[in-house]
Amino acid sequence: MVPPQWYLFLAAAVFCIGLFGILTRRDALYFLMSVELMMNAANINFVAFAFYYGDLTGQVFALFVIALAAAEVAIGIGIILVLYRNFGEIDVTVPTEMRW
Amino acid sequence: MVNAFAYVPAVVLLPFFSFLIALGAGRYLPKGGAFGGITATAGSLLLSLWVAAAVAGGGEYNETIYTWAGGEQFELTFGLLIDPLSALMLVIVSLVAVLVHVFSLGYMNDEGETGLPRYYAGLGLFTASMLGFVVADNLLMAFMFFELVGLCSYLLIGFHFREPGPPSAAKKAFLVTRFGDYFFLVGVVAVFATFGTAAFAGEGSFPALAAAALPPDGSVDVWTPGGLDVGTWFTVIGLLVLGGVIGKSAQFPLHTWLPDAMEGPTPVSALIHAATMVAAGVYLVARMYGFYTLSPTALAVIAFIGGFTALFAATMGVVKDELKQVLAYSTISQYGYMMLALGAGGYVAAVFHLTTHAFFKALLFLGAGSVIIAMHHNEDMWDMGGLKSRMPVTYYTFLAGSLALAGIFPFAGFWSKDEILYEALVHAPGEPLLFGGYLMGLLAVPVTAFYTFRMVFLTFHGEPRTETARDPEPVRWNVKGPLTVLGSLAVVTGLINMVPVKTVFELKGIDYLHRWLNNEWGGIEGLSSHHYADIGPYSSQPIVGGEVGTVLAGAAVSLGLALAGLGLAWQLYGGASPAEHTAKLGGIKDVLYNNYYLDELQVWLAYRTEDVAGVADVFDQGIIDGVVNGVSSVSLAGGGRIRLIQTGLVSQYAGMITLGLIALLVILSVGGGWFL
Repeated sequence: MVPPQWYLFLAAAVFCIGLFGILTRRDALYFLMSVELMMNAANINFVAFAFYYGDLTGQVFALFVIALAAAEVAIGIGIILVLYRNFGEIDVTVPTEMRW
Repeated sequence: MVNAFAYVPAVVLLPFFSFLIALGAGRYLPKGGAFGGITATAGSLLLSLWVAAAVAGGGEYNETIYTWAGGEQFELTFGLLIDPLSALMLVIVSLVAVLVHVFSLGYMNDEGETGLPRYYAGLGLFTASMLGFVVADNLLMAFMFFELVGLCSYLLIGFHFREPGPPSAAKKAFLVTRFGDYFFLVGVVAVFATFGTAAFAGEGSFPALAAAALPPDGSVDVWTPGGLDVGTWFTVIGLLVLGGVIGKSAQFPLHTWLPDAMEGPTPVSALIHAATMVAAGVYLVARMYGFYTLSPTALAVIAFIGGFTALFAATMGVVKDELKQVLAYSTISQYGYMMLALGAGGYVAAVFHLTTHAFFKALLFLGAGSVIIAMHHNEDMWDMGGLKSRMPVTYYTFLAGSLALAGIFPFAGFWSKDEILYEALVHAPGEPLLFGGYLMGLLAVPVTAFYTFRMVFLTFHGEPRTETARDPEPVRWNVKGPLTVLGSLAVVTGLINMVPVKTVFELKGIDYLHRWLNNEWGGIEGLSSHHYADIGPYSSQPIVGGEVGTVLAGAAVSLGLALAGLGLAWQLYGGASPAEHTAKLGGIKDVLYNNYYLDELQVWLAYRTEDVAGVADVFDQGIIDGVVNGVSSVSLAGGGRIRLIQTGLVSQYAGMITLGLIALLVILSVGGGWFL
C-alpha cells in the first residue's frame, strides 16, 4: 500500500502548479484550468484521507467538489465570453475598471 | 376590576399614534387625518376620566417604567406619576385637545387649507408630548417633554411657512423659550448633582430629601457647591428651574414670544398658547411645589413676577386692535395670576385658576377663531361690530368666556381669581414682595375687565363697520359644538371650588377641588395641599373682621373693580359706533402698543452679546467641529492611500491572497510550535 504522504506530496505538487499558473498566466482560459488543478489537488487529499481512515465521507465530498467544479467552469466560461465580447481579448490584465 | 393605571401609557401613546398615522398616511385619509386625531384624543379623554375616577376611588400610581441610563450615582428613568394633580391635568389637556381637533375641522378643513396632514400630525405630537409631560414622574423626563411641546409649538406656529410672519414668529417663540430652558436644564443638572435623584414623589424624591436636609431637620446630607448654605442653594436651584417656567408660561421678561405666536392657526393658539403648553410652566411649579415651598425667597420672587406680569400684560392688552392679540396678552396676564397664587402659597388656588382658565381661554380663542372664519380672516376689531345678532352661538359663548375672564360673579373666573387674591392677601402681611404682587394683581382686575369688554363691545356690539361684518360667513356644527361645551364649562367650572360660599355659609365639603388636592379621596403622601401648607413659610391672618369678613371684603373689592372696568368699557365702547379712545392716550398709547419697546430691548441686548456669540461660534466651529472634521479627514486621507492597492488586476489579487495564506500558515505554524 502506498503510504498516505505520497498522496499528500502529489496533491501539494498539483496545487502549486495550479497556483503558479494563476500567478503567472495572463490568459483567462489558463486561469480556469489552473483553478481546476487546485480544486483537484484538494480532491486528491479528500480521497487519500478517506481511504486512509476507511471513511467514505471524504469520497462523497470529492464527488460534490467535482460537481461544484463543473458549475464553476460553466460560470467561468460565461465570464470569459463576456470578457471577450467587451474587450476583444481574454487577457486578464486588460480589464482594470473594477478599482478605485 | 381592571386597573386603570395600567392604561396610563395608552393615554400618551394614542395621540402619538395619531401623529404617526397623520404623518404617514394623512394624505390618503379623508379630512387629512383629522378623524384619527379626534378618535385618539377622545380615547385619551376617556382613559383620563377613568384614571381620574380611579384616583377618586383612593388610587395612586408612582412607578418607574423604564431605566434608560443607570449608574452608581443615579439613574435616568421614565416613569409615571398619577396623583390628583396630574389626573386633573390629564382630563383638562385631553378634553381641550378633543375640542380643538373638532374645531379644526371647521377652521382648517372647511376653509380649504393645504398641508392638513402636517397640521394634524403636529397636533397629535403636541397632545402626546403634553400628556407625557403631565404624567412625568421625574424632573428630567418632564424636561424632555417640556422641550418636545416647545418643538411642537414651533412647528405649529410656523404652519403657514410660506408667509413671512409665521416662520419668524415660530423662530422667536422657540428661541425665547429655549433661553429660559437653558436655566431649567442647568437646574435639572443641579438637582441631580445635589440629590442624586429627580423623582417628584416618594420617600427618596428630591422634595422629600430637600425637606430633610434643611436646618431644623438636617438628617440628610446633600452636596452644595463650595459649601454653600443649603437653603440658599435650594433657592438657586428653584430659581434656575423657574427660568424654564418663565419662558414657557410667558412671564415677564420672557413673555414676548406669546403675542407673536398668534401667527399660528387659531385652534393651535387655543390648544397650545392658551390652555395647555403655557400651563406647563405653572404645572411644573405645582408639581414640585414641595420643593419651592422650602424656599421663601423663591416663592416671593414667583409671586412678585406673577403679580407684575398680570398687571403689565393687562395694560398692553388695552390698546391692541387685533382680537387674538388682546387674548394673547390676557393669557400672559392670567398666567401671571397663577404664578402669584403659587408664590403666595395658594397651591389649590393656582390649580383652580389653571383649570378654569384652560376652559374659558380655550373658549375665547375658539370663539375668536369662529369670528375670524366669519370675517374671512380679518382680525382687526375695528372692522367688526354688530356680530351679536349674526352669530348668536359664538356671541353667547364668547360672552360667557369674557365674563369668566373678567371675573364677574358667578362665572368660573370669578371664583378662581378671587381665591388667588384672597390667598395673596391673607399671606401678605410681613411679606413686602408678596404684598406688591397682591397690589398689582388687584390693579390688574379692572384692567382685565376693561380690555375684555372693550373686545366684546367692539366685536359683537354696535353697528357693523365693514361689508364683511354685515354679512359674515356662517360657521358649522364643528365650530359651534366645541364652543357650546366650553361655554358651559366656563359658566359652571367655578362650582367645583366655591370657597367663599363655604366660608360664609359654613357649608362643609363643597370646596371639592381643595379636598381633591388634599388627597381626601386618594393620592400620594407628601404631594397634598395640607402638606405644602405645613412646610410652607406663610401663616395666614385675616385682615378685616375675621375670616368671613376678609373673604367677603376681598370678593367685594375684586368684583367691584371688575364691574368698574366693565362699566368703563361699556361707557367708552358700548355705543353704536365707538371711537378710538386709545388715541387720546397719546404717547402712552405708543408705548403700550409697542409693548413697552421690550422687543426692541431684546434685539438691542442680542446685538450687545454678539461678541459672546462670536466666541462661542469660533469655539463651536473651530474646536468642536474641528475635532469631528479632523477625525473624518484622517479617515479620508488614510482611505485615499490604502485604496491604491485596489489595482483591478486579477493576478495581483491572487498574489495577495497567496501571500496572505502563506503569512497565515507561517504565523499558525510558528505559534503552533511546528518549527521548535
